[in-house]
Amino acid sequence: MIDIRSGVSAIALAGATALLPLAAGAQTTLRLDEVAVGELDPAKATDYADSILMFNAYDTLLLPARGGGGMEPHLAVSWAVEGTTFTFTLREDVTFASGNPLTAADVVFSYERLIALGQGFSHLFRDHVASVEASGDHTVVFTLNQPYAPFLAGLTRLQVVDSATVLENLEDGDYGDLGDYGQAYLSANAAGTGAYAVTAHNPQEETTFARNEGYFLAFDGTAPDVVRLRYGLEGATVRTLIARGEHDIASQWLPPEIVRGIAEGDGTQLLFEGGMGGFYIKLNTQKPPLDDVHCRRALAHALNYASMLALVQVTDEVAQGAPANGPLPLGMLGSDPDLAFPSQDMERAQAELDACAHDAGDHTLEISWIAEVPIEERFALLMQSNFQQLGFGTEVVRVPWALFTERATSVDSTPHISQLFVNATTPDPDALIYNMYHSEVAGTWQSVEWLQNDEVDRLLEAGRAELDQEARAAIYRELSALLVDLQPTIYAYESQSVFPASDRVAAPSLADPTQSYLVNGMNFMFRHMSMQ
Amino acid sequence: MGPSLLTSIARRLWMSLLVLIGVSMLIFCIARVIPGDPARIALGPNATQEQVDLLRERLHLNDPLPVQYAEFVRESLQGDLGMSLYTNRPVVTDIADFLPATLELVLFAGLLMVAIGVPLGVLAARHRDGWIDNLVRIIALAGVVTPTFVWAVFLMLGFAFFLEWFPVAGRLSEGMAAPPTITGLYTLDALITGRFATFADAVTHIVLPATALAMTGIGQTARLTRASVAETYDTPHVQMAEAYGYPERRIASRYALRPAMIPTLTILGLDFAAMLGNAFLVEAVFAWPGLARYGVQAILHKDLNAIVGTVLVISAFFLIVNILVDLTVAWLNPRIRLDSRRAAR
Repeated sequence: MIDIRSGVSAIALAGATALLPLAAGAQTTLRLDEVAVGELDPAKATDYADSILMFNAYDTLLLPARGGGGMEPHLAVSWAVEGTTFTFTLREDVTFASGNPLTAADVVFSYERLIALGQGFSHLFRDHVASVEASGDHTVVFTLNQPYAPFLAGLTRLQVVDSATVLENLEDGDYGDLGDYGQAYLSANAAGTGAYAVTAHNPQEETTFARNEGYFLAFDGTAPDVVRLRYGLEGATVRTLIARGEHDIASQWLPPEIVRGIAEGDGTQLLFEGGMGGFYIKLNTQKPPLDDVHCRRALAHALNYASMLALVQVTDEVAQGAPANGPLPLGMLGSDPDLAFPSQDMERAQAELDACAHDAGDHTLEISWIAEVPIEERFALLMQSNFQQLGFGTEVVRVPWALFTERATSVDSTPHISQLFVNATTPDPDALIYNMYHSEVAGTWQSVEWLQNDEVDRLLEAGRAELDQEARAAIYRELSALLVDLQPTIYAYESQSVFPASDRVAAPSLADPTQSYLVNGMNFMFRHMSMQ
Repeated sequence: MGPSLLTSIARRLWMSLLVLIGVSMLIFCIARVIPGDPARIALGPNATQEQVDLLRERLHLNDPLPVQYAEFVRESLQGDLGMSLYTNRPVVTDIADFLPATLELVLFAGLLMVAIGVPLGVLAARHRDGWIDNLVRIIALAGVVTPTFVWAVFLMLGFAFFLEWFPVAGRLSEGMAAPPTITGLYTLDALITGRFATFADAVTHIVLPATALAMTGIGQTARLTRASVAETYDTPHVQMAEAYGYPERRIASRYALRPAMIPTLTILGLDFAAMLGNAFLVEAVFAWPGLARYGVQAILHKDLNAIVGTVLVISAFFLIVNILVDLTVAWLNPRIRLDSRRAAR
C-alpha cells in the first residue's frame, strides 16, 4: 500500500532541497496581500495596492509628518514659498536603482510624464501648476496658477522616476519622440530611488521586492530582506496561509468574521490604519423629500449609529470604524473635536420630520448599496428599519459600481440614499471634501448629494487659497459645522482599515497612531517594519 | 489519415473560423452594453471628467460600433488585441502569461476525470446494483451536486490546513524558481529541462486545485460510463464473448468499454473544454494565476479588449477540443469514419 503522507513528504523534501541555499542566507521575507491588480507605473496608480507599490519603489519630494501635522523633507532637503512659486532643493546623495544620480531634471520629467499620460493622480496638479522647471542640478521650481494650499500634500503623489532609464526603454506610442513615454517599461519594471527594488512583477499574481542596500536613509530595525506582495487571495486562503505561518499581513478587504477568525488564532495581531476618511451616507439634496433640510435631519437623527458600528466590530477592542462627528476624520487638519457626536434620537427625528414640507408617507426612499461591498446591504437593511419608523416607504436597491457611477451623473437617476467609503488621497482635507460638496463638481460618484450652496463653495475655495495652516484649520472647522447643519450627508462613522497579521512582523506605523502617515498605503513602507 | 478525413478536418476548421468570427462580433457588442464607462472604471474613482473624456477618445470609444469593430479586426489580424485597461498591458501578453497556468490546471483535471471517473463507472457497471455500484453512485452524486468552490475550500482545509500534505496556494513554493519557459506549463517545462525538484513541487501545488476542478467531471464521467457500459454488457456481442469464456478484463476493455466510451467521450470533451472558463473559483481559492480569473476580473472591470480576447481564446479552445473529440470518436467507431467517407463522396 502506498503511504500518501510519505510520498508527499518525499516530494516536499525534494522541493526543500532547492531552497537550502536560501535558508542558509537567513533572509527574512515579508508576505502580504492586496486585491488585484498591482499597477507599478506611478503615473497610473489609483488604488491601495498601487500605493503600496509606489511608496516602496519610489520616493517623493516631501513626506507627511508621522502622526499628522504638516509636511517634512524627503528627496527635497528644504523648500521655499514665495507667492505662487515653490522652490525645492534636492538631496545630493540619492541614486536610482540603476545607479543614476537623482537630479532636478528627473523631477521635471516625472511631472511632465504624469500630466501627459493624464491618468493616476494627475488631477491633483493639472489645473493648478503653471510650470515646473529645473534650476541647476538640484533645484526645481514649481509655479502655480494661483495660491493652492493642498499643493504640498499633493506632492506625496508625485513619484520621481529615473528619466534616463525610462528614455532608454521607450517603445512606439502616441507621444512623438517620447514614444509610449515608457508606459510598457514602467508597468513591468520600477525605476525609482525607493527603499525596495522590484525584482519581479505580475500584476495579477504577485510583486516581489528586495531591499535596496544603497538607499539614502537607514532601515528601521530588522526590516525585511524580501517582500512578496500577492494579489487577489481569497479570505479562506489567507486564513489558512496565516495559520500555517506562510503569510504575514492580510488585506483590509476581508469580512469582519474572517478577520475575527484570524485574530482568534495563535500568534496573530490586528494592525490598523485610520484617520483618512469615513463611511458616508449621502443624501440626494435635489430630490424630494430630501430637498428639505428637515427631512434630511430627521433621517440623521433616526439612524442607529451604535448598531451600525456593531456591524463592523471585529473584536471587543478593534472595529473597522469609530464614531464620527462631521465630514473630516478627527486628527485631520480642520476637524473639530467639539462638534457633537450623533446618536439615534427618534423624538428629535420626529420633530424635524414635523418641520419638513413633505409628508413621509408620500415618499419611497431608494436606499442603494454597492454590489461589490456586501456589508453595505446590512447597513441598507438597518436604514430601512430605522427610516420606516418615521413613516417613509423604503426600497433597498443593489447597484454594481459601474452602474452606480453612471447613475451618479444625473439628479433623477441618483438614488435618494447612497453609501460610500471615501478616503483622502493626500493628507489634506481638500482632497476629501472639495470633490464631495463644491457645486461645480456635482454629478460624480463622490458628489451624489448634488449640494448647491454658495457658502459651502466659498469656504471650500477659501480653504484652498489660504496658505496659513491655522487659518485653514479655522475655515475647515467652520465648514464642518455648516455641513453638519445642512446635513447633505449622514456621517456614519470614521472608517478604520483593519489588517489581520502574524505577530512575526512589527509595523509601528500600522499599530501606533503617533507613528502613522495620513496617506492611504503609506503605512506599508516596508523600511519601517521589522521581522521578528 | 486518408484524404477524406483531411477534408473533414479542413471543413471543421473552416466552420470553426466562422464560429469564432460570430463569437467575436457577439462578444464585442455584449461587452459594450455592460453598464459602466470602461474609461471611468480604468482611471479610478478620483479621475476628473476631463481625464475620462481623454481616455475615451484615445480608446476610440466615441466612434460608432462598426468603426470600432473594423479597427479591432484590423489590429487583431496583426496579432494585436489591444491594451488591457485592467492590467495596463497588451492583452496578448496577459493571455500568454495566464493561459498556460489554466491549461496546465485543466489538463491535470482532465486526466483525473478520465483516470478516476472511467474506472469507477466500469466498476459500478460490472457490479450493478451491488454495494460497489451504490458507493460509486454516492461518490458521483456528491461530485456533481457539490459546487466546485465548496470542493476547493473543503480540500484546502482537509489536506492543506489540517493534514498539511499539500501547499495552500500558488504554482510553486516560495524561493523555488520557475523553470525556463518552453510551454509555460511548469510541470512539463520542469521535466523537459530535467529540474525534478521543481517538477515535484509543481505537482504538489496542482493536486488540490486540479482535484477540486475535476470533481464534478469525475461524477459525471462515472455515471455516464456506468450507464453506457451497463448497456453494452447487455448487447449480444458482449454476451457472446462471455459465452466463449473470454477473460473478464478482456471483455471489459475490448468489447464493453470501447463502444461504451463514445457517448461518454462526447460529454467528457464538452466538460473538459468548459473547465477552461469554469476554473475561476478554483483559481481564486488556490491563488492560481490563470486565465479564468483574469477573464472574470476583466468583465468586472469592463475591460473591453481583455473580455474579447479571453472569450476568443476560450472559444477557440472549445472548438479545438470538439474537433479532437470527433476525431477520437471516429477512431473508436469505424462506422463514423465510413459515414464521413460516404458524405465526402
